Amino acid sequence: MATVNLTIDGKSIVADESKTVLEAALDNGIYIPHLCHHNDLHPNGGCRLCVVKQDGVDGVITSCSTKVKEGMVINTKDETAEKVRKLSCDLMFKTHPSECVGCPKYGKCQLASISQYVGDSGRDLRQQKLPLIENEENPLMLHEMYRCILCGRCVRACSELRGVGALKFEKIDGRMKVVINGNSLEEAGCQFCGACVEVCPTGSIRDKVGVFKDDPGLSREMTLVPCSEGCPAHINVPKYIRFIKEGNFPAAAATVREKAPFPESLGYICVHSCELQCKRNHLDGPLSIRNLKRFAASQDDGSWKEKAFMKAATGKKVAVIGAGPAGLTAGYYLKKLGHEVTIFEKLPKAGGQMRYGIPSYRLPREVLDREIAEIEAVGVEIKCNSDVKSATELKAQGYDAVFVSVGTHAGNKLPLEGNDLPGVYLNADFLRAINLDEPLPVGDNVVVLGGGNVAIDCAESALRLGAKHVVMTCLEAADKMTASEEEVTWAKEDGIVVENSRTFDAIESENGKVTGLTVTGIEGLKFGPKGPEFTRIPDSTVTFPADTIIFAVGQHPDIDEEFGLELNRGRVVTSDEHKTSEDGIYAAGDAVTGTRSVIAAIAEAREAVSEIDKYLGGDGNIEESLAPEQTLNPCIGKNEDLTKTHRNEPNVTDIEARKCNFEPMDLGFDCSKAGCEASRCLQCDLRVQISPQKFWSDYIEEEGGQQ
Amino acid sequence: MENLKTQLVVIAGGPSGLSAAVQAAEDGAEVILIEKAAITGGAANMGMGPLGIGTKYQQQQMIDITVEKAFNMFMDYTHYNVDARLIKRYFEQSGETIEWLEDLGVEFEGAFKYFPQSEATWHIVKTGNKIGPRAAGHMNKALLNRAQELGVKVLLETAGKKILKDDEGKVCGVVAVNKDGEEFTIECKAAVIATGGAGCNKEFILEETGLEQGKDMFNFAIPGLMGDGLKMAWEAGADHLPVRIEQACDLGGGEEASGSVKNVLRQPNLIVNKFGKRVMNEEYAQNTTYLSNVAMHQKDKVLYSIVDSTIVKSYVKNGVDVTSLVTPDPDVSDFYEGMDEVVSKGSKNFFKAETIEELAEMIGVDAEVLEETIDDYNDYCEGRDEEFFKNYRYLRKLRKGPFYCGTYHPGGYGTVGGIRINENCEVCDKDFMPIPGLYACGADSCNIYDDSYMFLLPGNSMGYAVNTGRIAGMEAAEYIED
Repeated sequence: MATVNLTIDGKSIVADESKTVLEAALDNGIYIPHLCHHNDLHPNGGCRLCVVKQDGVDGVITSCSTKVKEGMVINTKDETAEKVRKLSCDLMFKTHPSECVGCPKYGKCQLASISQYVGDSGRDLRQQKLPLIENEENPLMLHEMYRCILCGRCVRACSELRGVGALKFEKIDGRMKVVINGNSLEEAGCQFCGACVEVCPTGSIRDKVGVFKDDPGLSREMTLVPCSEGCPAHINVPKYIRFIKEGNFPAAAATVREKAPFPESLGYICVHSCELQCKRNHLDGPLSIRNLKRFAASQDDGSWKEKAFMKAATGKKVAVIGAGPAGLTAGYYLKKLGHEVTIFEKLPKAGGQMRYGIPSYRLPREVLDREIAEIEAVGVEIKCNSDVKSATELKAQGYDAVFVSVGTHAGNKLPLEGNDLPGVYLNADFLRAINLDEPLPVGDNVVVLGGGNVAIDCAESALRLGAKHVVMTCLEAADKMTASEEEVTWAKEDGIVVENSRTFDAIESENGKVTGLTVTGIEGLKFGPKGPEFTRIPDSTVTFPADTIIFAVGQHPDIDEEFGLELNRGRVVTSDEHKTSEDGIYAAGDAVTGTRSVIAAIAEAREAVSEIDKYLGGDGNIEESLAPEQTLNPCIGKNEDLTKTHRNEPNVTDIEARKCNFEPMDLGFDCSKAGCEASRCLQCDLRVQISPQKFWSDYIEEEGGQQ
Repeated sequence: MENLKTQLVVIAGGPSGLSAAVQAAEDGAEVILIEKAAITGGAANMGMGPLGIGTKYQQQQMIDITVEKAFNMFMDYTHYNVDARLIKRYFEQSGETIEWLEDLGVEFEGAFKYFPQSEATWHIVKTGNKIGPRAAGHMNKALLNRAQELGVKVLLETAGKKILKDDEGKVCGVVAVNKDGEEFTIECKAAVIATGGAGCNKEFILEETGLEQGKDMFNFAIPGLMGDGLKMAWEAGADHLPVRIEQACDLGGGEEASGSVKNVLRQPNLIVNKFGKRVMNEEYAQNTTYLSNVAMHQKDKVLYSIVDSTIVKSYVKNGVDVTSLVTPDPDVSDFYEGMDEVVSKGSKNFFKAETIEELAEMIGVDAEVLEETIDDYNDYCEGRDEEFFKNYRYLRKLRKGPFYCGTYHPGGYGTVGGIRINENCEVCDKDFMPIPGLYACGADSCNIYDDSYMFLLPGNSMGYAVNTGRIAGMEAAEYIED
């Protein structure tokens, strides 16, 4: 490419001939104020802040719209240019509020930054404030156009970058304004991509509070792509959804697998924190991300395998205790890193809570078996029926490191009289027995204590084992239950009665046989440091008849001091690096955090693997690119129907057909539903591609002190 | 992000942090300044200038204010509830600081009062335009330029997270996080905390002051002021002193309204409480700290400023009675448009009513009592204010509808105080012993007002920031040298 020589402020510069004077100056650390200019947008030269003096040319030129030419001599600090800049700045403040008080953009406002640089203070002109009208029509963005300085970046971003054109300039009552291009956002075809927000230099167009997290510890990408941020393993959600939209399902499955070795199981049972953070929650309901994952994973063709890394053997040996999601994940990556891995599992089969907790109507065992087989295929040895009593003793048997992932397989029992009667069960025991094919007997009337997903699993399982009448009761109010909304709905459909806001008083019995559970209504529930706090409602005590009672009020690891590790309230104590109290022994998953989720266990196990690998002398890197590269098309065009679509719900088996057996009841998506749902994605990651706004102080380092 | 190494880390680049960085660099220290926002200057970019005592401007303007007089005023005002050694050092240095700023290229318009009863200690930065808000941005820019010239490394969009101490309890590093969320450590010998309080942190304010933002308190919630420095200092062992809101009364409960609307309703006319009674001599309402205190003591923490059509008509025609440097323009000719706009939006804080009865209904005040109060007030307007002794110049009758009304709530700038420091701006623990290498300045350390902001010596917030910043900078540089 051809280059030209020019001089800016006495400095000789060689620049590509395609550059503008402004670009050439900025590239060389010479700051020229500019506002309407944006890296990704065509120049329009409207703000007149970037004016400079060119030798031999009368007046001043706008540097953002003038291409460099051979021999050009530019003076950016010319007196006329500075006057013009000051006037431009004054003109912007003629309508812009002169005080920053109350503006949420404070500290990140380019106008403020420039006024500081140019030296304006905007008081020479009579102020003409605009009416203080907010437009809250857009559920994701706030338009406070009385702060608008008409730089037109939003209009250009919407049309040039996105091909949407939902914003336009229009003269209203003799004054130019930026308005929505149509009678409504729908008509304008707004895609809610946020490009306008991203380029707005002032506080005029902003994200509504709550759409994105305001956490300085998050990168720009994690802030702007809330689904990926919400996923503990940070799976690239927009990427795999885009693959699904394109019909490339194996690529989608591979994208998930880059961060988690159980794509399909997660597709069935993930707690989907991603969906809770989906930007579309503010429109018409989140993307059904989990079901999309499930469909894609079911179409996996294994093509990712050729891209998966496999390091040479290191000669190091690692023992993993517990073959649940954390242990299997750790074993998988440790083996891929070249370490010899043996997983010790107490129960007859691998899978942990995915097999012995989560009922088979939620997660078909053939799916789980298939995914565990992939892990064994890389050479991980799983020894079942091997109960490890002590982690330290195991390590002493010649392992270089030990990873503890024993999960929480012991249920919590509340101190109620009669809690040891026959017919009183603990969640973990009850569910495990079913999956060992030795179900515990249930009577006609079953009461489950607890309001989480495990409580629902217990209630639904009891129903499937033949109970006639199942009641779930918990402290939490209906809207505060920890169980997912969907599961509660299904449970109610199946005839399970949910009694919220109750405290448990006593287990009633006659002749050593359970007859019921007495509860009292409560209000004002809070969880303080000493446990739940609430007020009992007088005269609200009732007894639910029961011949079987199941405690589903939490679980803890089934280990004690003999295990050789420091414990706190029964859980394994670890450092931020997943180290336990013993050198070379690491831990993660439910055993450390208490009962959480499969995806959290996977994410934590991955972190622990990196630490273990570093401990064993490796670099700790387990990142891999299994999916093909993807080209994002930022030009998304109008979509007038965007808000007319709705979240696709999965096909579900009829109530009567599902509540008497352990067959899968949520049938997920078919191909067309998956495609439809995937096309609802707002592609939040497109916004990350837009160049971040820069400030004059970003250039000072190069310039070495200002004017 | 690679770890860095320097002698002094200054956490945040408002006027206190910038002053600390410049002073320390002038005294020979190697400095890194980190700032969470994209722009340096902090909340002070909105402000107009610092306090100075005994400056050449005061001499030229024949203003009689000495360090002795200011010190005594200040100590009387605060009932000696504050650190006299720190106040003395701050005031003593404040005059020289104005010259120090001038050496950096800052120019001043002169020394000014905020309102008639205050002293002319406010040194407003010259911008080349008229006096008005945001002038201090120029001072911050000059400080930044000087810092850069002196080789201070400025890292923007970088927040401080944690102060690291070595085995002997001396500061040895600062953990920071950059705009990509990456954490890194800056190894150092000393650190200055200058993060400007927690004005934007609703939960923090509730916890520390018991005040609920948006209900009891309508302070400026300047984005980014989350109490980072306070938390870091306390975690590092600093004594936890009370955090207070630097009170300045709010008109309108945070609702945006045009300048004219606010200007008219801030004039010293009738102010009543929820019971429809007067509670003060309204001319003192110009001292916004007093007014906020008055509001704080009322039922529902609210006051109502009421004017009638005759008063408004006169203001629109002739300009308002009282102007200040913050609202210097007496012209309120667009009052009616502004009022109609805010009322038509269904305002909960601005009202327009044809009769007193209707107004009383709108604001939930007993109509008979309010009518009685206004009758009495109108009588006073014909003679003298027998109730609260207001100056006759501000006694204007309320007779003719429509009546206009605005609500006052306790308001303020951000928070002040929380970290114990001594007169050397050394952060101290519960035993008053300095934590070696740790300094704090500006709002995080501003425990000098006790319960009420000292508006009688205007420019105090920024003056305190710049001067304690300099003290922290010079003390830290000396500590590093040893």
